Parts: sequence; structure tokens; C-alpha cells
Amino acid sequence: MRIAVLMKAVVEPESRIGLGSDGEVQCANFRYELNEYDLYAVEEAIRMAELYDAEVTVVSAGPEEAVQSLRKGLAMGATDAIFVPVEESMGDAFLSAEVLADVLKPVQPDLILSGVESNDLGGSQVGVLVAEQLGYVAATMVISVKVGNDGVLNVRRELEGGNFVDVDLPMPAVLTIQTGLNEPRYPSLKGIMAAKRKDLVRLELSDLDIGDSQLVETIEYSYPPRRERAQMIEGSSEAIASELVSLLRAKDKVL
Amino acid sequence: MSREVWCIVEHRGGEVDNDSLQLFGAVHRLDGEAVAVVCGDEVAGLAEQISGECDRVISLSSSALASFTPDGYAQAIVPLALERQPSAILTLHSHFLGRDLAPVLASRLGTGLISDCIDVEWRAGFVGKRLVYRRKLIATQRSIVPGIQVATCQRGAFEAPESSGLDAAVEMLSVEIDVDAVRWKVGEFDEAEVVVGDITEADVIVAAGRGVGSKENLDSVQRLAKAIGGTLAASRPLVDHGWLSRGLQVGSSGKTVRPRLYLALGISGAIQHVVGMRDSDVIVAINKDPRAPIFEYADYGIVADLMEIIGPLTDEVEALRG
Ligand SMILES: Cc1cc2nc3c(=O)[nH]c(=O)nc-3n(C[C@H](O)[C@H](O)[C@H](O)COP(=O)(O)OP(=O)(O)OC[C@H]3O[C@@H](n4cnc5c(N)ncnc54)[C@H](O)[C@@H]3O)c2cc1C
Ligand SMILES: Nc1ncnc2c1ncn2[C@@H]1O[C@H](COP(=O)(O)O)[C@@H](O)[C@H]1O
Repeated sequence: MRIAVLMKAVVEPESRIGLGSDGEVQCANFRYELNEYDLYAVEEAIRMAELYDAEVTVVSAGPEEAVQSLRKGLAMGATDAIFVPVEESMGDAFLSAEVLADVLKPVQPDLILSGVESNDLGGSQVGVLVAEQLGYVAATMVISVKVGNDGVLNVRRELEGGNFVDVDLPMPAVLTIQTGLNEPRYPSLKGIMAAKRKDLVRLELSDLDIGDSQLVETIEYSYPPRRERAQMIEGSSEAIASELVSLLRAKDKVL
Repeated sequence: MSREVWCIVEHRGGEVDNDSLQLFGAVHRLDGEAVAVVCGDEVAGLAEQISGECDRVISLSSSALASFTPDGYAQAIVPLALERQPSAILTLHSHFLGRDLAPVLASRLGTGLISDCIDVEWRAGFVGKRLVYRRKLIATQRSIVPGIQVATCQRGAFEAPESSGLDAAVEMLSVEIDVDAVRWKVGEFDEAEVVVGDITEADVIVAAGRGVGSKENLDSVQRLAKAIGGTLAASRPLVDHGWLSRGLQVGSSGKTVRPRLYLALGISGAIQHVVGMRDSDVIVAINKDPRAPIFEYADYGIVADLMEIIGPLTDEVEALRG
């Protein structure tokens, strides 16, 4: 069995995110990290690999920083990695999905795990779109996966409001992984050393068979309207504490 | 181009998910005819529940649509959409119709998808606005393919129009579903437990987010909660880490709370958290990032390291309450 994991490098939440005078996002100082959901997906793939004797291929299309995420995946126990350098401006989910699907076609994974969504630009589409491109079935928001004796996947999906539903589906399949289904491991020193000898293949967009498949363009960025509801309280910690308590008591009468 | 905008209605256990009605509000933005599309096994009752809220209802019924499956729903919707060419198809950005179905519909209709929209309009094409970079910016996106558009709408972003009180025409179609091509086999639903004395009943909630930094720091939050006579709750990451139990999670996949006082400590204000607490009477946010979206929902905001505030605040509250 082969499992592939889609790993995206996303802009760190601590990065300063602002617009230039041209209205464009100023991304020169962006720092990237592995999308949190994808970390759970990698961990789940590695656990499944241990359980079902599978190999794990980690894949990313994105900025150079994505290589670090892939190396982390290798250090955690993935078998090999594929990286496609792509500009940040590739915001369109269809294009991302087409690139990833084309990369994965020759790999022929039985199972592809992705995150539920990429928490910088994403709209929880890419996993399911990759499935559609490859003719695989997909299920989203997965919080537990088992492979039955018949080779059928038994998954538990999370629904709104803390409800769950169980679904069986055949392989090959794509599952989008929700946080919290496992406790992602830290790569061991041994893992990190071993990762250096593992294959990290680099494919250029020009190596791939992709059409002009951008379907959505971003025409403008803006700041969300500020609601300015909050009354900001400033000062020393002690002054803040006492002002807050007196407001909550005298004005709002909630203490 | 047809003015029809199809709104795929979410339902469970014979009840329409009321948030689906917000889709009709989005249709107003598009100046279209609001057509509710209901897929299911027994759909007559569902069609009736919404016929006063929209312009027209199309119900697609088959015993193979008793449970939601992306393949089943797509088989019911795609051929009809190709035939009738609605200008757009909308769903909530929910777990079923938003995440599982919308990308499948878009893909099989050969069109783009703009997801989690907070606004939609026609502007030289179909345009959707979405929050990106953790709600710090709005991206205005436009589909560059002509024909049917697909978009998902954020819960709460659009207002359901007032009920017209008039019953819209209901078109009942029974559809043939090739069950061999439906790859999901849907099993049991597991409903969230309702526990007596849980956070939904609390008067005062002290909620901790990832900003607390460590499990040890939770003790200070717990002390504050105790001093203030409140209940401890949390955002999802703390529950994912196993620091706190699932029952304490506030948000779209946890509980919806409405206390008199909600203190958000080190919580950024992701929409999935906010939907679970924004109706609290008084909200206090402590966050070291002045641009954290949580401040937009707060009545009082404090930009600071929460560990520096929590001690003095606990002392102050203890002094007050004795
Ligand atoms: C389908 C789905 C369902 C979800 N359901 C839920 C749900 O039910 N509930 C939920 O909460 N989330 C849910 N999430 C996750 C949600 O999207 C966010 O990831 C989550 O709410 C973030 O939690 P947080 O604010 O604690 O952490 P972060 O977003 O990491 O924010 C931490 C905040 O703490 C601040 N901070 C850091 N250090 C300090 C300090 N020392 N002092 C003060 N402030 C500090 C930072 O500035 C930051 O704003 C869901 C996600 C998905 C995709
Ligand atoms: N450029 C990419 N490279 C690798 N994986 C990606 C990429 N974009 C999206 N993904 C995967 O698809 C999931 C959903 O992304 P999105 O549709 O952008 O919200 C992410 O959690 C990743 O697992």
C-alpha cells in the first residue's frame, strides 16, 4: 500500500500581513510553516504505514520553504518526498489540485491524506479536487481511519456541533484530516539523520502535464471593516486589572 | 443567462438546517431568483418548511438519497443543472454540502469554486469575498469561467430574508440514482452528548486559547475561573492536545455558549471559535496581538501577555469577592 500526504507551507500567523500602497499583499517578509492540519495528516499516514506496512510519499507545491516541511515529514518517517516550486500567487485551488494530481498520477497512491484546509488562503477544496482529478472518492473532516479486512476504509467524520458520522468507502481515496485525531510526533535525531538520505524529488511545473486551469482569480485585497466594538484598556498590569474589574462590576454588572 | 440561483438546502432528521435560509439572502445580493434545491428520500415535508422563504423549490427525491453522499447528491444535481443552467449554485460552507459536495459539483460542472464567501455579487463575472490570512485580509475573487458558478457561504455572513408568507411553487422530481456509483456507505450518526452542568449553562466563562502556551499555565487560568465564580472552557487546540476534555470546547465543532461574561485569554478569534461565543453578553479579550480578530467581537480589549495580567486580575477579583 502507498499513502501520499499533501503538505502545504502556509504563512506563519505571526508574520506581519499588510497591504502595500499598490494594494498588493506585502509578502517579502513572510515566514512559512507547515499547515497545522497537514501535520496531523502526516502523523496519521506514518501510523498507518506502521500498522499496514505501507510507504508514505509526502508532496508539496509552493515556496522553497516547503522543502523544510517535506524534510520534517521525512524525519517523522515518510519514505520519500516530491516538491514542485510554485509562486505564492498560485492561489487558485483548481490549479494547485491539478499540479498535485499530476504529480501523484505515476505514484498511484491507494490513499491520499490532506489537511482539512490551509489556514492562510485556503478554502478546504484542494483535497477533494485532487480526488476528482484522479477519479478517487473523498471524505472530509476525518477524525479516525481504519482499514478493514476487506480493504475498505472505515472513517469517522466530524460534523458541526460535536456530532459524528461513520462512513465506509473504497480505496483509492482521499481523506481530509481534522486536527486532534492523533498526537503528532517530534522527529527523532535518528529520524532527522535518516531523512537526509531519503529521496526528495524536485519537479518543475514545466515537467508536468497541466493545462491553463486557473478558474478563479483574486482581483483585490482589502482590510476587513473594523467593528471597533472593543473599548481598549491600557496601562500597567495592575491598573488594567483594577479598571477591568470595576467596569465589569459597575457598568456591566456582571461581577 | 438564467437568473436562477440554486441554494442546496441542508437538512437532517427531517428538519431543514435554518442557516440554509441565509443562502436566500446571498441570492438577493446576486439579484436572482432564489430556488431552493432539496435532495432526499422523503422531501415533501422539507419542501414545505422552506416554501415560504424562497421563490421556488425543486425537490429531488430517491431512496438512494436518504443519507447524504457526495456521489448521490452530484448524480441528482449535476444533470439537472446542465440542463437548466442556473447562474449559480450556493451551499453553506458546512461539513457536508460545503466541504464534501461543493468541490465535487464544481469539478463535475467544469467550473470554479469560491468558498466560505462573506459576500457575493456580479461584477464582470461572479465575485466572492473571503477572509484570508486568518481573517486579517479580505480577498475579492472572481471566477474566470463563464456559465454556472459554484460558491459556498459562511454561516452567519448573510441574513435570511423575511419570510414572504407565500407558498412558493414546489416542483417534485424523482431521480434515478445509480447506486453502484455511490461510493460512500453511510453508517451511524453519533450525536453530541448534553451533560447537565456543562459549559452551555455557565454564567461566567473563562476560556483559554493556544496563547496560554503550556498545560502548566492553565492552572493560573483555572485559579482565575475559580476566583471569578466561572467555568473553564477552551478553544479547540487545547482540546486537541489533550489538555482539556472535548466537553469544554467552544465553537462550531464544540459547544455554543451564551454566558453573561466571556473572558477570552489567548484566543485569536477564528470564525469556528467565534460562532460559539459571539452572543455572550459581555466579552473580554486578552491577546498580545493588537490585530487579533477576537477584538472585533469584544466589549473590552487588552493587548498584553495574558500571563502578566492574569495574576493581578485574580487578586483584584478575589479582593472584590472576598
Ligand atoms: C471545521 C473546523 C472546525 C473547527 N471547530 C473549532 C471549534 O469548535 N472551536 C475552536 O476553538 N476552534 C475550532 N476550529 C479551529 C479554529 O479554526 C482555530 O484554529 C482555533 O480556534 C484557534 O485556536 P486559538 O485561538 O486558541 O489559537 P491560535 O489561533 O493559535 O491563537 C492564539 C492566540 O493567542 C495569542 N497569544 C499568544 N501568546 C499570547 C500571550 N502570551 N498572551 C496573550 N495572547 C497570546 C496570539 O496572538 C493568538 O492570537 C475548527 C476548525 C475547522 C477547520
Ligand atoms: N500547494 C499545496 N501543496 C501541497 N498540499 C496542498 C497545497 N494546497 C493545498 N494542499 C492540501 O490541501 C489541503 C486543503 O487546502 P485548501 O483547499 O487550500 O484549504 C491542505 O491542508 C493541504 O493538505
